[in-house]
Amino acid sequence: MAGDNLTIAIKNIKERKSRVILTLLGIAIGIMAIVSLMGLVEGMQQAVVGELSSLSDTIIVTTGEISASPMGGGFSDGAGGYFTERDLDSLERINGLESVNPVLFGRCIIKHNGELKQSSLLGVDPDRMAEIFGIDFLGLESGEFMQEGDQNKCIIGYNIAYEYFDNEIKTGSKIEINGKNFYVNGIYKKEGSGMSTQTDNNIHVTARDFKKITGQEDVSGIIIKVSDVNEVEGIATEIETLINENHGNEDFANAITMSSLLKSIQEVLTIIQIVLIAIAGISLVVASIGIMNTMLTSVMERTHEIGIMKAIGARNIDVMAIFIMEGILISIFGGLIGVILGFIGAQGFGNMSGGFMQGVPLVPIINVSTIIIAITVAMLVGVLSSLYPARKAAKMSPIEAVRYE
Amino acid sequence: MSNDQVIVAEDLNKIYGKGGAKVFALQDVNVTIARGDFIAIIGPSGSGKSTFLNLLGCLDTPTSGKLLIDGLDVLNQTDNQLARIRREKIGFIFQKYNLIPTLTALENVELAMSFARVGIKEQAKRAKILLEMVDLSHRIDHKPSELSGGEQQRVAIARSLANNPSIILADEPTGNVDSRSGSKIMTILEEINKKGETVIIVTHDSNVAKRAKWVIQIRDGVVSGHGRG
Repeated sequence: MAGDNLTIAIKNIKERKSRVILTLLGIAIGIMAIVSLMGLVEGMQQAVVGELSSLSDTIIVTTGEISASPMGGGFSDGAGGYFTERDLDSLERINGLESVNPVLFGRCIIKHNGELKQSSLLGVDPDRMAEIFGIDFLGLESGEFMQEGDQNKCIIGYNIAYEYFDNEIKTGSKIEINGKNFYVNGIYKKEGSGMSTQTDNNIHVTARDFKKITGQEDVSGIIIKVSDVNEVEGIATEIETLINENHGNEDFANAITMSSLLKSIQEVLTIIQIVLIAIAGISLVVASIGIMNTMLTSVMERTHEIGIMKAIGARNIDVMAIFIMEGILISIFGGLIGVILGFIGAQGFGNMSGGFMQGVPLVPIINVSTIIIAITVAMLVGVLSSLYPARKAAKMSPIEAVRYE
Repeated sequence: MSNDQVIVAEDLNKIYGKGGAKVFALQDVNVTIARGDFIAIIGPSGSGKSTFLNLLGCLDTPTSGKLLIDGLDVLNQTDNQLARIRREKIGFIFQKYNLIPTLTALENVELAMSFARVGIKEQAKRAKILLEMVDLSHRIDHKPSELSGGEQQRVAIARSLANNPSIILADEPTGNVDSRSGSKIMTILEEINKKGETVIIVTHDSNVAKRAKWVIQIRDGVVSGHGRG
């Protein structure tokens, strides 16, 4: 029966299958881009939250500004000054600290098979090394972290092992650091451009070995673990205030918690998401022009039909409703196909990328709200792009339309 | 206008163009049609008879004059009010049938009712009765392309009756069909008229005009005569 506009719209679409399919593809591609990008960014956010929440009880204190972004960052090499014994003593006055681990940072000369290279050197207590640098997305490619009491052993970054020297360095190899022999106890995974903690181009040794080979005891960073996760933000502020007071400089220390780091990463990811979706939105604008074009052609082809409908009593709104319904149907079908393609595309991109951070697969997350947003956007595109053609159809003079051949 | 006058046209003009290029399609037409009449409008091609029918069917509006359709002045109506008159007061039958090609016979009849917001079940029930009346019960699921000219015109007649209009307007209803189908269509229109509907036919076929109760002759946009059919 033709008792409603939906039936008429469906019949009209069936009559113009090939044109409708092409129009529908435009919408499908736009929605696919939006769904897959939203899914990928959501997946990235979840991955970051998942990884960093395991460090939610940790505070990293550095001197000066610390760069903390998904693209890079890490400890200062002392340009902002060093922490003093007084600073470390002050920390003992703060309640709720489980452990305080000074980090020493400097530069060193590495010698391997007669070749000399410069590198960054990090000295950390061996019993904390695994906890700080052993998180899932970093961790070791081979070997193991040092134990308490280990001497003249080091962990080297991926680039140092495979790119710095003509001959690759392997776990178990011997290298010279500042003229002293060191046994390579392990090699870090490639960190890439993920959550940087500066492992790719670094050598990590125990704090004791660091002092021995550099003769330097200045602390450029402190890694602190608190007993109660809920107090981490308050303690971070307290640490900053105390150390800044010691140095008479309001901006001397910077205490970063994982939640504040997480917040800044999420902010960056949100901006990336908005930019990507805006780019995907352009394809939707193109698709909506496609719908408008299809609908205008359809209005022109069906001028006589519009005249007949008006002659038998159709109101302007009835004629408009038929064309808007067609636009909505095309865009909803396109939207549904776009959602399915978006699922496939996001999954494919996730697999192809091999991981957002080394070792952590990028699993796209497409939730119900993303699908609802995508279909709603598709519907809106359908309504907006068919409004003009529908209005044009509705405004036709019945006598002129019915005479049109 | 008395209750038994369904159409009153006074000094009706339809002018196309402006200034020196003015063309009087209809000029000072004065006609009164009583409820239940069967009228044939005759005249040569281009005489203005179809223009007159289009004005009566509210498909077009007069340039000046007065036209009352069932008491409503057409000149002062909005687009949607004119659509309402077409929907409730008028049933239109075209020479070329003008069925919607994507819809079946049943759906074409139902479509007219859907614009009048008739319930879906009622649409189907009534459409089947009307198609049975025009002897097409066996063709209700066929699309126009699967029907003969005569059958399509009978579907158009059924559609014109969908919303119980006061007036049936037919523009050369037998012009595109063979004489046998034409005769059948005329018989149906006569039956409709016998039930009290006002039927107005535009034709140049004298045999069709003879079957009407009254004939109005139009020549060069002017009513040039009238008399019994």
